[in-house]
Amino acid sequence: MTENDFSRRDFLKVLGWGGTAVALSGCGNTSIQDGQETVTSYVTLPSYVTPSISNYFNSTCAQCDAGCNIMGRVREGRVLKAEGNPNSPINRGRMCGLGLSGVQAHYNPDRVREPLLRTGDKGETITWDKALGLINEKLNGTKGTEIAFVTGGMSGHVQALLGNYMDELGSKNHFSYEAISPAVLRAANKKAYGESMPRYRIDKARVVVSFGADFLGAWVSPVHFSQQYAQFRKGSRPEGRGVLVQIEPKMTLTGANADRWIAVRPGTEGVLALGIINALGKAGLSIPADIAAVSHEYTTERTSKETDVSAEQIEKLAALLKERTPSLVLAGGAAEGYAHGSQNAAAIALLNRVLGNVGKTLEASASVPFPQIAPTVGSRSSLIALNDGLAAGKYKVVFSYGVNPVFSAPASMKFKDNFAKADFKVAFAQYMDETALAADLILPLDSAMEDWATVVPEYMAAPEGAGSNAYAQMSFRQPMMEKVFPDTRGVGDILLALLKQRTADKYKEFEDFYSYLRSAVLKNKVALGGKAGDDDEVFWNETLSKGIVPLKGIAGSVSAKASAAGLKLPVPTDADPSYPLRLIPAVSASMRDGRNANEPWLQESPDPLTTIVWDSWVEINPKTAAKLGIVEGDIVEVTSKSGSIKTQAYLFPGIHPDAVSVPVGYGHEAMGRYARGVGANVFGMLDSVFDKETGELALNETSVKISKTGQRVIIVKEEGPVGGSQAGKPKIAVQVSADKVDLSKEV
Amino acid sequence: MKCFLRSLTLLVGLFFYASSHATDALPTLTTPDDVGPVVEQPIEFPHFRHAGDAKDGGMQINCMYCHTYARRSMVAGIPPIQKCIGCHQSIESVRDKPRIQKLFEYWDAKKPIPWKKVHDLPDFVRFNHERHIQRFYFQQDRPYQEVCGYCHGNVKAMTVAQRQKPITMGWCASCHQKDHPVSANSSETGHGPNDCFTCHK
Amino acid sequence: MSVSNLLENWSKFRHTHPVDDKGIPDWEAYPSDIKWAMSIDLDACTGCNACSVACYAENNLPVVGKDKYSHGQAMHWMRVERYWDEGDNGFQAEQGARFLPMMCQQCEAAPCETVCPVGATNHTEDGLNSQIYNRCIGSRYCSANCPYKVRYFNWYNYPEQENAWPAPLNQQLNPDLTVRTKGVMEKCTFCKQRTYTARNNAKTEGRPVQDSDVQTACQEACPAGAITFGNLHNPESQVAKQWQSQQVDLIKDIQEKDEKEGNRLRGYRVLEELRPYPSVMYLERVRESAV
Repeated sequence: MTENDFSRRDFLKVLGWGGTAVALSGCGNTSIQDGQETVTSYVTLPSYVTPSISNYFNSTCAQCDAGCNIMGRVREGRVLKAEGNPNSPINRGRMCGLGLSGVQAHYNPDRVREPLLRTGDKGETITWDKALGLINEKLNGTKGTEIAFVTGGMSGHVQALLGNYMDELGSKNHFSYEAISPAVLRAANKKAYGESMPRYRIDKARVVVSFGADFLGAWVSPVHFSQQYAQFRKGSRPEGRGVLVQIEPKMTLTGANADRWIAVRPGTEGVLALGIINALGKAGLSIPADIAAVSHEYTTERTSKETDVSAEQIEKLAALLKERTPSLVLAGGAAEGYAHGSQNAAAIALLNRVLGNVGKTLEASASVPFPQIAPTVGSRSSLIALNDGLAAGKYKVVFSYGVNPVFSAPASMKFKDNFAKADFKVAFAQYMDETALAADLILPLDSAMEDWATVVPEYMAAPEGAGSNAYAQMSFRQPMMEKVFPDTRGVGDILLALLKQRTADKYKEFEDFYSYLRSAVLKNKVALGGKAGDDDEVFWNETLSKGIVPLKGIAGSVSAKASAAGLKLPVPTDADPSYPLRLIPAVSASMRDGRNANEPWLQESPDPLTTIVWDSWVEINPKTAAKLGIVEGDIVEVTSKSGSIKTQAYLFPGIHPDAVSVPVGYGHEAMGRYARGVGANVFGMLDSVFDKETGELALNETSVKISKTGQRVIIVKEEGPVGGSQAGKPKIAVQVSADKVDLSKEV
Repeated sequence: MKCFLRSLTLLVGLFFYASSHATDALPTLTTPDDVGPVVEQPIEFPHFRHAGDAKDGGMQINCMYCHTYARRSMVAGIPPIQKCIGCHQSIESVRDKPRIQKLFEYWDAKKPIPWKKVHDLPDFVRFNHERHIQRFYFQQDRPYQEVCGYCHGNVKAMTVAQRQKPITMGWCASCHQKDHPVSANSSETGHGPNDCFTCHK
Repeated sequence: MSVSNLLENWSKFRHTHPVDDKGIPDWEAYPSDIKWAMSIDLDACTGCNACSVACYAENNLPVVGKDKYSHGQAMHWMRVERYWDEGDNGFQAEQGARFLPMMCQQCEAAPCETVCPVGATNHTEDGLNSQIYNRCIGSRYCSANCPYKVRYFNWYNYPEQENAWPAPLNQQLNPDLTVRTKGVMEKCTFCKQRTYTARNNAKTEGRPVQDSDVQTACQEACPAGAITFGNLHNPESQVAKQWQSQQVDLIKDIQEKDEKEGNRLRGYRVLEELRPYPSVMYLERVRESAV
């Protein structure tokens, strides 16, 4: 019996050793099959490789724009896992779930493997020579003004090369587009502090009040802020354990970790900020006259009425902020996604000035000394410009790289139709996503673990210590292994080949992007931390092996120049009775804008708050749901003026009764087996309302109504049927009041 | 109830059978059947020529000259072709032997040699060469041929390697139960781990 | 290994449980100089799930898909549980949610070990609760007896029939441990392959294992550094210092914090009143009362 049991159990058929194909079918109770398996030896082996022991290659994560420094764990020629680079001031050796899933982007079975050409409804695989030749052919006779290139946020030498290419084409139409971008924040920060991305020092603050900035989840540089947050929560630091207050209508991951989560009426964050300033004044803090002139109107009573936050809460918060300094006030997506988003952000920024935080917990950042590689940040407004151009038939040849606007543009923009108006559309793509499907030529890209690049992060974290105010860094992205699919190419290589078509002479010395990058780095050896006499090869290898190049950056400066002049917040109006609820598209830490939706670990990783997997959902406050007669699992139709989706209802205590929330990034119609058909795409149903100052799409300005469809499902989620209740059970997750513990001596 | 009793008897019986079987003297560890099959390799590598004693015409090369990872890694490693060539490019006398010609064919084509695995462990077993070499070769200072031979048999007399030991769990455990001196000059003894988890992964 | 060997070891380890039949701690008799243990600071934990994904990456966990997930067949060795405070009108979100990463607690008196009919799960010298896949016959008694519900059963043949790693995704699999097949139980091992390597390297260098030798995959990833792991028997290790400072004792079933009022500690172990003597200490989440 035993023998049969064992022979049934075919252990580990998948595991390979090097290039070995393992075929193990039980044979006796030892499964030994001498002489059956091949153990392939190497032809030559670098001295640093020992079979069965991992090598680590430093590189840079490409899963979001934070630019965390990673180490790829490589064994027998395969990268197994991404781990954090401990020397990085950004992530300090840590990783998020999204970053860890980078290997699944690399090994993804749904990657595009060969160049594809579409003729009518049919696609055919073609050779690279033919593909590049076709681009050359289409570009000949096309004016520079008729060519557009849409990318995500970019930086480093690939960006420099793209800039050169656009110059050669005589085109100024490079559109940098991010579906979820802190564009309003950048503009507001620039105005209020003089810098668009100052350094936030959560770790130095005693109180953090965040107006919808999900800094632990998906805001700016979450792994970096999580480190700061861990410091902030340490009772043993001189400032004591920090207090986090989160103000937002839909609870984010950061809200879930707050000491107090305040459900503000959507859109009234600016009002609340001014109300707090007024309360601070009442409590005896001196308020600069220009601010007082505006804030005095926002009495606690009025603020409470407009924002739905109790007067007591406002006063408590003001008392806390007055007592515990320094503090830090953050403004994030939830406060900025409105037509008056910039005004909200400006009002919130005033709090930092009033509280004297600027220069203490808001520090000056530094920028890289080479403008060609400095990050070009993306925004929604550039997509609008591109869309207008496309609609007017201005662009004949359009390139897209690293973005998926067909998926993430609101349906009301009619982007897909406008995109179709261009004669020839080239998509640089890793997946057959919605935009690639709409393109005429698809060029398969290397994964971030196969390609060369340099990365300059927008949010420039710095190590502690002297000179940190001028610290800037450039990070390397380098191949960790052979290509998974032999016929993909790096974006730098493609751009270089395209450049050679235009001006062969200038680039003839560079065989590929690697040689271009190497020569560009060696040319600036001294600026990149080397000495003029250093051997090129040694310098290059050392720089690469570190993965991070610290630079003497251009130090910025912050000043408390936030002014209340011109600040005008709209008085909240009653909701349109036909669309009574506010839709808040939620940006989750793992799904983000949906570009990583085809990585199965992310689909199976439960949403931290609802614990739902493999689907989208609409969060409804239990009170609202009771009024509408909705129970958990009802399939509801969420309808706005611009569109509608059907999805499952989830009753969620962490949402304002006037709001509902649907996560973005789900609902792909293409892309791959793990993304297609999972959930519903909320981007499509957003109204085209824009922030008045920056022109950014106002994500939270869509009003909706909810109706039951009559269908019902059992929601697939991690939490049990009691939905997170610990009632009547032994203690599991325990909470203690801060005055009941002594944190100061903890190790 | 009857049924229950019957199955209980059966279970108890089984238990006694199992334990009595186990407490019997251990079965002979090596039987003729335990010797592995003759494995056909792409190149008929003469171990005796390289590792054999001088009196048998061998060169007495240390096993770990070629299987170099054994002392610092889980796996002993099949040497890269580079290693073979390192010596053979300057040994003109055997250059036109068919086996060497074949070797150079692989080298010139930069193609790896598809050796067949002779000692194949199931993939749920973790065997660590380093630990055993460290323990017996370095700490206890036993001759390398003896140490490697504990598991691999008398390789120095073989052409293509053939398995000579059973390499089953009972066989591994029989040695792990024995007390071995912890170092060359010590009377202190110790035995290998008996945790299932150490070897099963 | 013979059955007698198994039984001998088994009874040996059962005997050296932290508390003997008369309720007297027997810690001194513990045979090894290593006892792996963990502590998780719930005040630092943000519930972001990075640990869980890191575990998928390190331990060859299959992605099961929506259908099987709905049947409770997810294979996440490490899961993040989310709880709410309750008030008069349902859940109170004002104080945020509570997160608790839950994985095998590597109990010293593990309820799962005593019920395995084939001895596939037993205690190791370094204080782990082992799971021997090729010994397991899939009775699932262990899972039924586990108070933490952290044992996961392979209902399907994920590598082949379910194609959980369609090529080339299978190239990501970690060769340091097996890919389990249908019919066996599996669970968190405290990254056995990593502790093994750490012990091996330390032994080669002739020194004891230190904190810097080993990190579990979850600990390594945790963006907030909430997880500490190490050798509880080494007083220099961070985990031992934390247990010490919280006065949490492996061999007690009620800790100082709960035994006496007002000692201002926050270390506890989940469900320790059931007396499994788990090896994971949690530090209570702290909440500021001033707001």
